[in-house]
Amino acid sequence: MEFKLTVFIICIILALFLIFKELKRKNKTNLSWRILASIFMVVSFAFLIVPITYQTVKEQATAELNLITEGTDVDTITKIKGEKFDLDSNLFSDQKNLKIKHIEDLAYFLQENKDIKKVNIYGYGLDQTQLKQLQAYQLSFHPAAIPSGIISVSWQKEVSATENLTIQGVYNNYSNQDVKLKLFGLGANLDSAFVKSNSKINFSFNTQQKQSGNAIYQLIAFKGKDTLFAEPIPFEVKPKKPIQILILASFPDFEYKFLKNWLYEKQYQVVFRSQISKDKYSSDFLNTKAMDVSRINQALLKQMDVLLIDENEMSSISAVERAAINTAVNNGMGLIIRLTNAISNPNSPKYGRYEIPFVPATTFTITAVNENIKFSELPFPQTLFLETTLNDQALFKSSTGKTVVNGQLYGMGKVLISSLSSTYQWELAGKGTDYSMFWSILFLKAAKKELKNQSIEFFPQFLTIGSSTKLIATLSDNKAPNLAFNDIKLNPKQNMELPFKWDAVFWPTIAGWNKITINNITENAFVYQTSDWSALKNADKLNLNSSFSIHQLNQKEDLKLTTENIDEEISKWWIFAVFLLTAGYLWYEQRFLAN
Amino acid sequence: MLKTEGKNWITDFKVKLTLLYVLQILCISLAIALLFIPIAKYFEVNPISGFSLIFSLVLVVGFIVKKIFKITNSTTAKYLDEHFTQLEESTELLLKPYAELSLLEQLQVNKIVQFFPLQNGFKKPLKRFLISLAVLLLACTILFIIDSSALFNSKIFGNSKSFNTSTKVKENIPAEIKSISIKIAPPAYTNQSVRNQSQFTIKAETGAKVTWLIGTNIAVKKINIIFNNTAIVALKAANNDFTKWSYSKVINQSGFYQLEFDGKKSDLYQIEIIPDLPIAIKIHEPKIHTTIDFGQIPKVNLVCSLTDDYGIKDAYISATLASGKGEGVSFTEKKLLFNVSLAGKKSIKLNKLIDLTALGLKPGDELYFYIKAIDNNGQMSRSDVYLVSIADTAELLSMAGMANGVDLVPEYFRSQRQIIIDTEKLLKEQSSITDQEFKNRSNNLGLDQKLLRLRYGKFLGEESETEIGGEGHADDDGHDHAEIKYGDVQALMDQYAHKHDIAEDATFFEPELKAQLKAVLNEMWGSELRLRTFKLQEALPFEYKALRLLKELQQKSRVYVAKTKLSPVKLKLEKRLSGELDKITQPKSNSTFENKDLGKEDLKLLLAILEQRKSGKSFKYGERELLKSGETQLISAAANQPVSYLAALKSLRKVSIANKVVISDIEIIQKAIKNLIGLEEVQPQKQDVSPSINLSNGYFNYLKNGKE
Repeated sequence: MEFKLTVFIICIILALFLIFKELKRKNKTNLSWRILASIFMVVSFAFLIVPITYQTVKEQATAELNLITEGTDVDTITKIKGEKFDLDSNLFSDQKNLKIKHIEDLAYFLQENKDIKKVNIYGYGLDQTQLKQLQAYQLSFHPAAIPSGIISVSWQKEVSATENLTIQGVYNNYSNQDVKLKLFGLGANLDSAFVKSNSKINFSFNTQQKQSGNAIYQLIAFKGKDTLFAEPIPFEVKPKKPIQILILASFPDFEYKFLKNWLYEKQYQVVFRSQISKDKYSSDFLNTKAMDVSRINQALLKQMDVLLIDENEMSSISAVERAAINTAVNNGMGLIIRLTNAISNPNSPKYGRYEIPFVPATTFTITAVNENIKFSELPFPQTLFLETTLNDQALFKSSTGKTVVNGQLYGMGKVLISSLSSTYQWELAGKGTDYSMFWSILFLKAAKKELKNQSIEFFPQFLTIGSSTKLIATLSDNKAPNLAFNDIKLNPKQNMELPFKWDAVFWPTIAGWNKITINNITENAFVYQTSDWSALKNADKLNLNSSFSIHQLNQKEDLKLTTENIDEEISKWWIFAVFLLTAGYLWYEQRFLAN
Repeated sequence: MLKTEGKNWITDFKVKLTLLYVLQILCISLAIALLFIPIAKYFEVNPISGFSLIFSLVLVVGFIVKKIFKITNSTTAKYLDEHFTQLEESTELLLKPYAELSLLEQLQVNKIVQFFPLQNGFKKPLKRFLISLAVLLLACTILFIIDSSALFNSKIFGNSKSFNTSTKVKENIPAEIKSISIKIAPPAYTNQSVRNQSQFTIKAETGAKVTWLIGTNIAVKKINIIFNNTAIVALKAANNDFTKWSYSKVINQSGFYQLEFDGKKSDLYQIEIIPDLPIAIKIHEPKIHTTIDFGQIPKVNLVCSLTDDYGIKDAYISATLASGKGEGVSFTEKKLLFNVSLAGKKSIKLNKLIDLTALGLKPGDELYFYIKAIDNNGQMSRSDVYLVSIADTAELLSMAGMANGVDLVPEYFRSQRQIIIDTEKLLKEQSSITDQEFKNRSNNLGLDQKLLRLRYGKFLGEESETEIGGEGHADDDGHDHAEIKYGDVQALMDQYAHKHDIAEDATFFEPELKAQLKAVLNEMWGSELRLRTFKLQEALPFEYKALRLLKELQQKSRVYVAKTKLSPVKLKLEKRLSGELDKITQPKSNSTFENKDLGKEDLKLLLAILEQRKSGKSFKYGERELLKSGETQLISAAANQPVSYLAALKSLRKVSIANKVVISDIEIIQKAIKNLIGLEEVQPQKQDVSPSINLSNGYFNYLKNGKE
């Protein structure tokens, strides 16, 4: 305003001076014209400096922002009308003819261009943080085709010793050539799958890991002889967590003997008690200290993860002892009850058993429910089976579909009923793997779970170099934890609702295995290269963007046109023309007309 | 030159020209066909047939193009006219008889005849021939180059090439060594000659004598040879300059060795043993269990094949004759020889007709035999035991087993025996009775046999006389198919059902039993046929076989358990569980398993350490200990199986010293260690639970108890 005023004052003074000079001029033939011309000249000069504006009401289309992201194909880009922008200048850097402009910073750009109301996203889309900035905008997502490669994958990040590593995922093959997928680790090919051209398959690799500690396997895809990609599969093998087992036998039989020896050789802590006579017991303490086992009480059971007992023993122990067992199961201990007779004791429940008449078959095969395991056949016909009610979980079934091992929740613990009486036959037949597999599953299902003091989760799950990662630590108490990532202290923030959860944000910088410490306990976290698992990341982005845009669409109505008050400016050329005309007249009049 | 000789000269020229052309075409087609050989090999086509095909094809095309068969005197004349201007297009005149020519022509002939014999007549075709010869040479050279190039060889011969004992292996040879000569003298049994090689990797037959001759550039004070990292032997200097060393050793075991020059150790080299396999014996004939029935010739033809890797020394049949019964069984051992010379043959097919009667086998006796073979190395191998038995007709006819015990078997089981007795009796009496009588009795016997057959047939549901075993359900099965009344459901059903008069007659035999019964019926059929056609001698084998099968059936039905009475002692219930137990001790045992095999755990840790090394981390002190432990385990593994583990051992040594990380080396070690660890059994584990479970546990307790 100040500037405008100064201009006007100066111009008025100039006009007055010019009028005064005109009046003083001797030749007065064209005086009135000259004065008029002078005034117009000065006025137009003034408006040359200060433009004239006026307000109009105008209808106009919403301003749109076309964002091109990775994965957009060139055809789509060329069809887009209007200006195109990208956030990554490397995206189409070699194709200048596409005329894609680059935005350094999306938030800044949007601030600068307030008229933008709608954002069109092409390709795989934006990441979570970028999408957050677009919350106030109308979004339209034009997704690219689902990328070729592994679009979904999962495996255990931590495996216990002797446990199998299972890698499952989905491979999407768009190409016209078959792709061979191979799991490579510790210098050898461990498993492989074949993906036909133009198909999508679910693959599942299973391998027994051998090392104790960290290892990085690789998932390699081959197309003919070319390697398409080699993605890292980092995982950690933790030492086995042994279980304490108490076995109460009414009399020692082969099943107990074999199981006892097997557990003994595997260095488990086993207390084995078998009845000799009334209140007289023989007891073995394997890999553990001797303790009093003549009476079953809470203190004894507290040390145990699993109690294996046969039906006869269960009915012969006192009611107090039974109550102690019930309490222990209620608090998380596992109880495995072996049924051997087709007819239950008068004192013990039926446990849903039933017997089928004698079968002519001489062998019997079981399968683990929900596990992809095939057991060898047992050399005897099984006639005792269990009914699976609504509260039961069938763990093992015969090949004909009859349940042989049932599981049931009881408080925080589990009660397993087994009608299999001679699994030692596997050991006799040299099928040690089947024997260990069966009992491992049984003990795993039954054993009391070990409560960790803390656990960590990362968001996103794939830690990537240079990208912001949120760490959530879950603790057993509400005290603030000491968190450090590679010896750099992190300052966590407590969760408002769940006081035992703490989170912190950090940016990993070194690829490979990194250390993360909570309260002096170190865990390993693998940081990926930015290029790792790109197809998977892109597929994730696609999902994220589509769901985000659908969510936005539900919230914002489609604004096609808006009315707006706009200040319009009169073109300076007009004013300049007036200025030229008037100044020209003044010069011409003085030069030719006056003479 | 004479005018008449012109024609002769042209004929001569024609022959020579044709010959040159043929040679030229031959050369070209040979060249093209030769070049086709590697292509044929590449596409795995038989090179010889490909070669001949292309050769003949090009040859034929060449002949057609060059018009070899159309070269006549006149074309030759035209050829000459074209190439020699001085002949003034008149060569053809020479071919005509001089007298027939006109005056002008005669003049012309006189004019051109002076130019004969033409000089350089063959200049152009000769030049062409030489060019084609050059092409052939070039083709040969190309073929030679392609054939000798290793790359192509591997492509062509890669699949078919068998393992060569002198395969070249890339080795790190110490700088001190000037020359290596290793003499491998295979043991005598292999019949192989001594071979020399100039590489350290040894592949030798068991018991081969290996002599190392090592020449060095400079005088070396001492050279040791270390076997399997344990046995150290000093080499002997073969000359006074201490530049030639030798050592020899008989090798019986796989393993590895290295050389030590004045304390400097070389790379590891493997020793692989080619073991001498025992002779493989395969018996094609007879079956493992053969029974010779009455009437069959008591001879067994033995057909077998023996195979050995180096040579068979000897083979014979060891036969044991078991004769007699029960406690009176006696065994006689016999050695039967094959009357064939075996000496040194690698593979042989042997035949031997064993005459059982010559061996002294009587009905009811058994012959056990097996083949024993010895190879050049003195290794013995023997086949399975085979058994030949002669059916004992006397035993079949005996009453033993029927007269005693429970005789649950109905009478008809005996009548087959009766038929045999009658048949034999009839045969004996044949000479004393009339033909008519003989035929009559024979026919009657056949009738008896038929009745017997029908009785057995009943067990199988056999209804008509003509079928065996009564399988299938013929439309015309003897039932009355009355007209079906409309609405009569029962009658309608009867049409499709197979109803029998008495339900009890329906038998429920096991399929196996049925099959045996059916076999009995078959034999009975055979016997009946012969009896009815008065061929008693021929009928006997069938009768005997039927009886033998029946006896077997009979034994099957003899599983029998006698009923006994049980009178339990009355229990005094008040006295139960009231015994004094205070003297019963309660045994307690305490034991802790000591894991002696810690090597596996070390290997597992080593795997993880090597994995870390891949990402560039250097070994720490404790980790070096594990590397040592891994090395000892690999050494013992490599000593037994150098082919699988020696490379890993070499790599382990390299990796433990090297500053640079070589991932391929580490992977070789990891792979070997993985194999050493082997497959592990799954072991029971506890599951981990995140502390967030506390919240749900609290909720659960609150629901249950009303308080936390």
